[in-house]
Amino acid sequence: MSNKFLETRNVTKTFGKIKALDDVNFSLYKGKIHGLLGENGAGKSSLMNVLSGIYQPEKGSIYLDGQKEKILSPDIASQLGIGMVHQEFRLVESFSIKDNLTLSKSNIYKDNFLKSFKKYSEIFALNVNENEIISDLSVGEKQKIEIMKLIFNDSNIMLLDEPTAVLTPQETSQLKNSLVTLAQEDMKTIVLITHKLKEIKEFTEIVSVMKNGKMVAKDLATKDVTDNQLIELMMSTVKTSTVDKDNKIGQIKLNVESINFIDEVSNIKKLEEINFHVKSGEILGLAGVSGNGQVELANIISGIEKIFEGKIIINNKDVSNKGVRSRKKLNLSYIPENRLGVGLAPGVSVIDNSIVRDYFHTKLGPHLSKNKTSNFLESLIKQFSIKAPNPKAEISTLSGGNMQKLLMGRELVGDPDVIIASQPTRGLDVNAVDAIHNLLIDQRNKGSAIFLISEDLDELFKLSHRLLVIFEGKIVKSFNTIDANINDVGLAMAGASE
Amino acid sequence: MNKYTLSKRQVVNELSTFYSFLAGFLIALIIGSVILLIQDKSPIDTFSLMFKLSIGSVNSLSSSLNKATPLILAGLGIAIINTVKLWNIGAEGQIFMGAIGVNLIYINFQLTSSTSFIFLLLVSAFVGGAVCILIPAVAKVLFGVNEIITTLLTNYIVIGLTIYLVNGPWKDPGSLNFPAAAYVGKEVYLPTIFGKLSYGFLICILFTAFAHYLKNSSVFGYEMRIAGGSEMTAIYAGINAKQKAFFAMLIGGGFAGLAGGIELLSQTHRVSTGISQGFGYTAIIVAAITGMRPIGIFLVGSLFGALSIGGSVIQTIGVSTYIADIIQVSTLFGALVIQFFFNYQLKRADDG
Repeated sequence: MSNKFLETRNVTKTFGKIKALDDVNFSLYKGKIHGLLGENGAGKSSLMNVLSGIYQPEKGSIYLDGQKEKILSPDIASQLGIGMVHQEFRLVESFSIKDNLTLSKSNIYKDNFLKSFKKYSEIFALNVNENEIISDLSVGEKQKIEIMKLIFNDSNIMLLDEPTAVLTPQETSQLKNSLVTLAQEDMKTIVLITHKLKEIKEFTEIVSVMKNGKMVAKDLATKDVTDNQLIELMMSTVKTSTVDKDNKIGQIKLNVESINFIDEVSNIKKLEEINFHVKSGEILGLAGVSGNGQVELANIISGIEKIFEGKIIINNKDVSNKGVRSRKKLNLSYIPENRLGVGLAPGVSVIDNSIVRDYFHTKLGPHLSKNKTSNFLESLIKQFSIKAPNPKAEISTLSGGNMQKLLMGRELVGDPDVIIASQPTRGLDVNAVDAIHNLLIDQRNKGSAIFLISEDLDELFKLSHRLLVIFEGKIVKSFNTIDANINDVGLAMAGASE
Repeated sequence: MNKYTLSKRQVVNELSTFYSFLAGFLIALIIGSVILLIQDKSPIDTFSLMFKLSIGSVNSLSSSLNKATPLILAGLGIAIINTVKLWNIGAEGQIFMGAIGVNLIYINFQLTSSTSFIFLLLVSAFVGGAVCILIPAVAKVLFGVNEIITTLLTNYIVIGLTIYLVNGPWKDPGSLNFPAAAYVGKEVYLPTIFGKLSYGFLICILFTAFAHYLKNSSVFGYEMRIAGGSEMTAIYAGINAKQKAFFAMLIGGGFAGLAGGIELLSQTHRVSTGISQGFGYTAIIVAAITGMRPIGIFLVGSLFGALSIGGSVIQTIGVSTYIADIIQVSTLFGALVIQFFFNYQLKRADDG
């Protein structure tokens, strides 16, 4: 491991008061696959964005082959041979594969395109014609074209941000073979960001771990570290919960029985044999890295997703075949993960958005009562201290915290029996997070059964009585938060098998 | 380096659309004046003549309002469809289809009471307009086909159909080879309120009130707004977004169809290619200027009706009628530019 191909020294990048990267030292070695591990927000993507010229660090320097370089733009990065595959693909959907692969000016295979395309198609086990249009390809095929694009642009350093998140298990093991071939035969240097320990083990030779913007472990030999060691490095300590959890627990309010769900478009099994129940006065947490089936599960419970196997029982009534409305009438509230776009309608006024759940209470026949709606909004604003000066203003002019308070207030005001809260505090500042947490605890004390879906372990440990962990669509473990060990939860979230 | 960015204003003045319209109209008058001056015509003389001949007497006023009626009705239809954030470029075709609907029923049925017969004919005009937008509506909700294209294309189809009908099956042998259907009987003419003002204008007032209510105070209007804002939010709220879009399109098309029916029963009295003089396109301008507000559409539509009448009479002093078109289009252009500055503000970016 002597020849450092790329090195960052003391790189620091701040956003406002937050240090996204704090004095980060990082090295890459020629022809090796390097794993980069860390929780969400640990700084992995920020570091990759610095290397690919999207972010400019305030401090620190980058050395390539021993030479100091300033990577001022993605263009310069690609001239230096650094390329990145983002989680959202950057392909021109209406162009052919060939056009996408030869688009860049740093392209090196313009003249003998077909020959190279054949060679790499073999490595990637890609079985499509070069004239195929990108939008006709499957997600897995698009992923392959994205990575191939880096090769065609002569990138020797390939940064892959969670490339397996969209792949089936078979595609993932196929990707592994391709990447190993690229590293060994073409001497490509590859960085793999992933949340899955199994992939770190299988794909990489070297692994580095980040936590809270810092590089906490550098250049570990993958074969010498254990899952437990990695998780211990990666997880932060959890604050002891100050929330009283000895409140009164009552009857079962929500029952979820052997839910199986296959995504129609990708034909991937997203949920497998999900079983749990939530009682009145109880908060049940669902931990998991996003994309492991949480959105699908929440949509099935709330009635948005209608085609699935299994049973949803609310207040002892089987609602599996019922729509959104009738579940609301059984007093179910759903706070969706996607605040603006699902929970709130962009381009529509604050007052219109405030009555999405209850507008059928304010209607008199075909007439929507102006008095009732504005009284409703006024009481929401007062009760939940929302800052919304003008009811007719467009919803997205509110701050994130106020949007979330409006959404929560709207869903909580009728004292719902069952609450599905999905990532309720994501992206909010500390004060707003506290306010939202207090709302949920108040509601719990009033006897609601709350199913809390979150990636934030602090939040889950603080609020919930019990904790389930979801990984690749399966509930892999359950814990009592009082005596649970955060590292065990972390291991389960990362898919470590015992 | 100073960078400026545009950001959306949190609070937009409620009368901003009205102010932008006034400013746009002023800009349009200035542009019109410049063009008149280039032609050595006096803008003041021209505009005052236009004013006098469009609203200066009971007769001219009623002609203007008759002219405004189809503009307003088609504009209202466009505004209703826009509540679900869809665009209806097909009002022109729907107007023709409304007239075709009237004639179809007229030649196949006879009712003894002329009041109920007129009523039936107006209903068939509405249905005609709705039928005209049916294919774009189905294509939109089932396959997501862009409604701007499909509604625009139906215009050409319907105008083609009209040409076929008035040269073929409906051709009036007594029209001396002029391509037109036979006149409808006097018993189904829409009566006049006073002067030349047709009862069509009264219907127009009623439908303005109806559209205003539908858009702003009804449950259906609310559901349309949510569906237009985000289909996902609608699904989340248990609102069938596709169904709302479908019915909004049919109702909107019906409004334009009614415009065609009224035009036939009060003005042209027969189907020909002259049923609409681009009303369906001008209605888009009217609806856009007013930010899709029904009351605004009524007022601006009335003004544009007067402008058309005024524009057609100034030919007598040697000024082209196109000056009225220029004013209408410049008003839209000016109003949209001014509205932009009501909605957005220039801010200096902190970060370089």
